[in-house]
Amino acid sequence: MSTPTRTGTSVSMTVNGEQVDRHVDPRRTLSDFLRRDCGATGVHLGCEHGVCGACTVLLDGRTARSCCTLAVQAQGADITTVEGMADGAELHPLQEAFWKHHGLQCGFCTPGILLTVQELLADNPDPSDEEIREGISGNICRCTGYQFIVDAVRDAAAVLRGEKATEAE
Amino acid sequence: MTQHQVPPGLIGARVRRKEDPRLLTGRAQFVDDVVLPGMLEAAVLRSPHPHARILGIDVRAALELPGVFAVLTGEDVRAACATPQPVVWRMIPDQRMTDQYALAVDKVRYVGQAVAVVAAVDRYVAEDALGLIDVEYEVLEPVVTLDDALAEGAPLLYDNWPDNVSCRQTIPKGDAAAAFAEADVVVTETLTYGRQMGTPLETRGAVMSWDPFTDQLEGWMSTQSPNLTRDLLGEVLGLPVDHIRVRTPHVGGGFGNKFDFYGEEVLAALLSKRTGRPVKVIEDRLESFVANAHSREQRIEVSVAAKSDGTIIGMRGTVWAVLGGQLATVGIGPCWLSMALMAGPYDIPHVEATVVGVVTNRSPYGSYRGWGQPKANFAHERIIDKLAHELGMPANEVRRRNLIAPEKFPYPSQVFFYDSGNYAECLDMAEQAVADRGWAKRRDAAAEEGRSLGIGYSFHIEISALGPSKIMNQAGLQHSSFDEEVVRIDSAGGVTVRTGLSAMGQGIETALAQVAAQTLGVPLDTVKVLHGDTETNPFTGYGTGASRGAALGGGALLRASSRLRDKVLRIAAHMLEADAEDLEITDGVVAVKGAPGGPSVTMRQIGDAAYRRLDGKLPDGEDPTLEERDVLDPDNVAFSYGTTAVLAEVDRETGRVELLDYLLVHDCGTVINPMIVDGQIHGGATQGIGGALFEEIVYSPEGQPLTTTFMDYLIPTASEIPTFETLHMTTTADHIPGGFKGMGEAGTIGAASAITAAVEDALPELDLRLTRLPVTPPRLLDALTTATPKDPS
Repeated sequence: MSTPTRTGTSVSMTVNGEQVDRHVDPRRTLSDFLRRDCGATGVHLGCEHGVCGACTVLLDGRTARSCCTLAVQAQGADITTVEGMADGAELHPLQEAFWKHHGLQCGFCTPGILLTVQELLADNPDPSDEEIREGISGNICRCTGYQFIVDAVRDAAAVLRGEKATEAE
Repeated sequence: MTQHQVPPGLIGARVRRKEDPRLLTGRAQFVDDVVLPGMLEAAVLRSPHPHARILGIDVRAALELPGVFAVLTGEDVRAACATPQPVVWRMIPDQRMTDQYALAVDKVRYVGQAVAVVAAVDRYVAEDALGLIDVEYEVLEPVVTLDDALAEGAPLLYDNWPDNVSCRQTIPKGDAAAAFAEADVVVTETLTYGRQMGTPLETRGAVMSWDPFTDQLEGWMSTQSPNLTRDLLGEVLGLPVDHIRVRTPHVGGGFGNKFDFYGEEVLAALLSKRTGRPVKVIEDRLESFVANAHSREQRIEVSVAAKSDGTIIGMRGTVWAVLGGQLATVGIGPCWLSMALMAGPYDIPHVEATVVGVVTNRSPYGSYRGWGQPKANFAHERIIDKLAHELGMPANEVRRRNLIAPEKFPYPSQVFFYDSGNYAECLDMAEQAVADRGWAKRRDAAAEEGRSLGIGYSFHIEISALGPSKIMNQAGLQHSSFDEEVVRIDSAGGVTVRTGLSAMGQGIETALAQVAAQTLGVPLDTVKVLHGDTETNPFTGYGTGASRGAALGGGALLRASSRLRDKVLRIAAHMLEADAEDLEITDGVVAVKGAPGGPSVTMRQIGDAAYRRLDGKLPDGEDPTLEERDVLDPDNVAFSYGTTAVLAEVDRETGRVELLDYLLVHDCGTVINPMIVDGQIHGGATQGIGGALFEEIVYSPEGQPLTTTFMDYLIPTASEIPTFETLHMTTTADHIPGGFKGMGEAGTIGAASAITAAVEDALPELDLRLTRLPVTPPRLLDALTTATPKDPS
């Protein structure tokens, strides 16, 4: 429903490979746009001030905090959310590794962490544990204590380097 | 020592969680993902003052804003509600209650207290409208700290009270005065535990839809306690519970914060009633910091009386509970538990402990994982350390001399009967593990390089499997605490478990599925667990907290599944013309024991015989369908326990503490899934570490909360957290089917005690006693510079 207090702006972007053209309020955040206008509810809002990382998406291949980005700022961008990670019904090796290593509990921070790690491994395919911890230190997980996340990332990195096969259940 | 009540199998297996694929792919539904046709969104106007009288509220301009549908104030809410916000833990019969509504009516008593609420077309417009509401306040002098509240002539939060004390209770065991009179040594400590909270990453929220024609209320809530919530909504709104349906989607972390019952659910319901549309309210993080229950903050005075050999003969303590401006759902509960468990794992014959609940102009005090136990632990472990120091003995020697011996169980404490444990063995295991890993050598080698490493221990107990309903009622709980589970095999042999417990990350779906699958002899992937709907799922008393889900849910389900297995075997026996006693079920196939390749029937055939083609297959006298239900109201709670050992390094220049290694030896009876148990321990310990070193809700002297973002309230990240190691023992809870004990809170309880001990050990030349949490770098630096060198004698 539109309200008379607003002025709309056109915005176009690619979300998980799909072209999206919408009319939005200039103040609409990218996170609200993705969640409400694109159905990408895997984008989670944990703090809305850019610290917790739950809303992390890939914007032209780099991580961005969608809660602190306006939808209009993403004009023309290529956005990937957690919904875009799996290949059809096949989990991404990172998702598979998080499952295997119990790298999630409530799962609320998980989408943001998965995308952060995807960027981390693109930059550094063979990180040390310390580098993994530093790489995810901008994402808060209140459940796991991080250790099983580190285990999952280490394992997924080996799979993505082609050194071991994905261990689907 | 390891005991077995159930044979090893799926119970005890490290299997992947059933809930994970949807959480990993963004397909899991959380409350903010619920969208209903015509749904409005609400925003809450909150008090900017810690203490003020409301003289008037003008909402006219807000109502005129296009897109705004309704605005409610305190008077509207009071008129619409049958009762004030409920308090379910009433341990102290003469406690002064605060009886507040979801919106403030006459006074505000903390920054963030809800004053008005708007329903609008979306959250953006609702927040615009908040800026148009004009509230006239008469600002009153705030009561910010415990000392402010207790001061002579302090302003009163409640004008009809004589002071700011809500309650006081002393529970004695034996004769503490006599014990202190005959002691060789008495040590005393005053401890300050900082204000902290659970901060689940998903903030709280609700979607409420009130049908004005039938008065049916349908709600989606991020809650740990769906049945309690339904009952409390019924009380507050004056609705029969059969008019209320509570649905709980995935809960993005609970940690006690979502156990409690808050005003926002009531507000969304009333706005829905007023507008005839569904209304969603989702708090933002700032609101979460002021409107979710705070916890932990206490001042604790503790003394022990001991013999010169380290035997403790008496303990005295007072818990000063720094409550907020009104009571939260659990009232004095967590602070009362700190008092009731102050003697911890120690066999102390004479104990006298007191709790005093004091109201202040801070946010209400409610549940946070561990409840009162981290504070009780800090009291008994800090005083053990001090006594050891006084006697010149190692702290673990003092522990060993006083830990409750295995043959003394069930052990009567001040209040509870501890069910079982091998405490000294657990401590021995931890010491041995630390020796095996060479921590002392690392500490000594580091000292030669001028670095300061220290080793600290703590021993914790954890009340779990809460609990026997009638006893909890006698203790003051205005609700039950049993658990009910339902298991059904369908017409094709698939298994469905229905539970009233909430899925909040603790893996309850998987744990329950493991119990049902092993008991029924079927593959794990043929078991589905349904939760999150009071209309179709059974009743769990209390809620998903108090480390009770796996123990009581698992125990009830084990019994229900056992009876269902018996029925399956009777049907199979009829079909196979065999004796049920001779049959077993393996991987969903029923066959004669020890006769592989012999005649068999599948679970699918059993399902068909019980639901569809009964003739010739279902024995005479056997009812069609395959369903069992069980209620577990246990005879007693169950106590888990563990030893925490920490290797820490102190930076003497900055006061920063780094944790190098972290070990927990733990016993929670029969383990259902060791992977989940380890994950729970890691996560709990991480929250304990946060509470020990980083996390504190700070108020300014004027009563303004200063820590309302994640830039100020410091939750540990992966960079601050060490690698954990866990070792397990198994001492079963013999009064719980399966022998399960709960363990969800374990890691939070002993962390601060072990860390403070390790920091002191890292600074051996200083007479340093850490008594205040969290031990932030400025605080430690200050303590370092003011501590006196140890007396060389």
